[in-house]
Amino acid sequence: MSDRELVLSYEGRRWRARGEGVDVAHDELRGLEALIGATVAKDAAPVEVRLEFDMSALPRWLHQYHGHYCNYTLRVPPRAVLA
Amino acid sequence: MTTNRRWHSGMFATEDWWSVWIGLALFAASLAVLLGIDVVGWMARPRPWEWTNLTSEFAWSKLFAPAGAAYAGWHPLVSFAATYLVFTALFATGARFLKLDVPRFVFGFTVLFLVTWAAWIAGNELHLTMVDATVGGRNRYAEGGLTWGLQLGEGAPYLLALLAGLALGNFARQFAATRLAEGARPEWYIKTAIVFLGVNLGAQTIEASGFAFDLVLTGAAATFVAYLFFWPIVYAAARTWFGFKRDVAAVVASGISVCGASAAIATAGAIRAKPVIPVTVSMVVVIFAMIELIVLPGFYTALLPDQPIVNGAALGMTVKTDGADAAAGALLDELMIARHAQLTGESWQTGWILSAALLTKIWIDVFIGVWAFVLALVWIRKVEKRADAVQVSPMEIWFRFPKFVFGYFIAWGVYFLIATQGEALAEALDTGTAVVAGPMRTMLFMLTFVAMGAMTDFAKLKGMGKIVLLYGLALVVVIAPIAYGVAYLFHRGLAPPLVGQ
Repeated sequence: MSDRELVLSYEGRRWRARGEGVDVAHDELRGLEALIGATVAKDAAPVEVRLEFDMSALPRWLHQYHGHYCNYTLRVPPRAVLA
Repeated sequence: MTTNRRWHSGMFATEDWWSVWIGLALFAASLAVLLGIDVVGWMARPRPWEWTNLTSEFAWSKLFAPAGAAYAGWHPLVSFAATYLVFTALFATGARFLKLDVPRFVFGFTVLFLVTWAAWIAGNELHLTMVDATVGGRNRYAEGGLTWGLQLGEGAPYLLALLAGLALGNFARQFAATRLAEGARPEWYIKTAIVFLGVNLGAQTIEASGFAFDLVLTGAAATFVAYLFFWPIVYAAARTWFGFKRDVAAVVASGISVCGASAAIATAGAIRAKPVIPVTVSMVVVIFAMIELIVLPGFYTALLPDQPIVNGAALGMTVKTDGADAAAGALLDELMIARHAQLTGESWQTGWILSAALLTKIWIDVFIGVWAFVLALVWIRKVEKRADAVQVSPMEIWFRFPKFVFGYFIAWGVYFLIATQGEALAEALDTGTAVVAGPMRTMLFMLTFVAMGAMTDFAKLKGMGKIVLLYGLALVVVIAPIAYGVAYLFHRGLAPPLVGQ
């Protein structure tokens, strides 16, 4: 069970993650993950963030070929480690 | 918002699942015949006709009629209306759950449905279909008084449907893109038809279990070849000669060598590539699949007309996207049967060559989830080196599993179980399911041909030079020849049973 669950999407050439009070966007996924980390990190304990891709970010005609893009868990280290 | 969270996510929200529901609903309805009730015989079915005969004394019944004997008294137009209404209602219900624009979907579906039927009826004219061959001591071509004909067999309606669809997609481009796009869902239609094909597989298993086993064996070999042979070659070529970045090369390699658009999306998701990459690759894949569909059935028929199952299996490994593969398999089936009758006077049973093409492809499809999961692990650990920060769940395999395969095998299993309970039951079963496995399945194949054509705009290839060149080279130099060699190795000498055997 993850600590946080965010919806991942791709809008206007930018990755975006939102949910549970978080709403961040970046051109690169690594950059987005860094922004998520900075937002949700705790002082002492690591945080697990579940990212679930919103298929409505893909063109509708593509859905008939495959109905899933990606879900994954991002492990955010404690703030002390991030710093 | 559409995310896959639980194992049951998408059960009413994807075309894949809806092909299972619609396919199994109609299959279940056909089983009512076991209780003595025919609830699917209203389905209209085109009849062979000859134009001088038709124009001398016009009658709708010469063009099409209800498929079930219990509905023989229905006027053909009532049967046609029932066919339209039932299929429109089923697919519109699905469209509503898929959150499509239902009025736009119904409009697009209706236009494609009417074009499909026009092609289906026109394609049954005897000058297009009838083959000049003496089969079982009879030459129907001569008996019918024909003096000329294209002799395309039952492939004629498919070819007309394809031409009509392509005309829509390329000469009425704006209309197709804006008004038909919502209803042009070839993968949905073909996956529903594939569920119906489970019935054919059931019948074939009873008739020749060794053959079915042989197809399964080749399917396994095809999977090995696609994932572990084609993919590394195309990936290496994309990286070395075409200079693609790692993520682009991986997505392109999957699209070209595994199972088309589905594999491109699955791979891109697995390696968390920007979605613009699989969108671009899928556009190219869909157009190339159409080219393969146009070229390969005729080419294989001419190449080795005495190797039907080799040709079918080779097609399954070469043609990408389920829609194009099944459509190409159906076309090859009809063209080869017609050609074989011309050459030998023997008539092969329909459906066996199509099964060879389809089962080979389904095997490849089934493993896309496993492949993507392995690729995700490799990417995280070896390419990105972030195993400590990113984790993927084995549930990804389930989310990527092609669900229509369940429908196909459920239909096969139920048919097989009932048919093996006694001769009387098997006979009744055949009568009931003949409508589902016959005209209903064929109509959805025809609809797929038209829908694929309508969404294929060859102009979209402009500006995609490198991917197009790589796709063309990989297809001609690597995939098609190796696929043919593997299919030949496993299937040479195999042929469908003869009609009446």
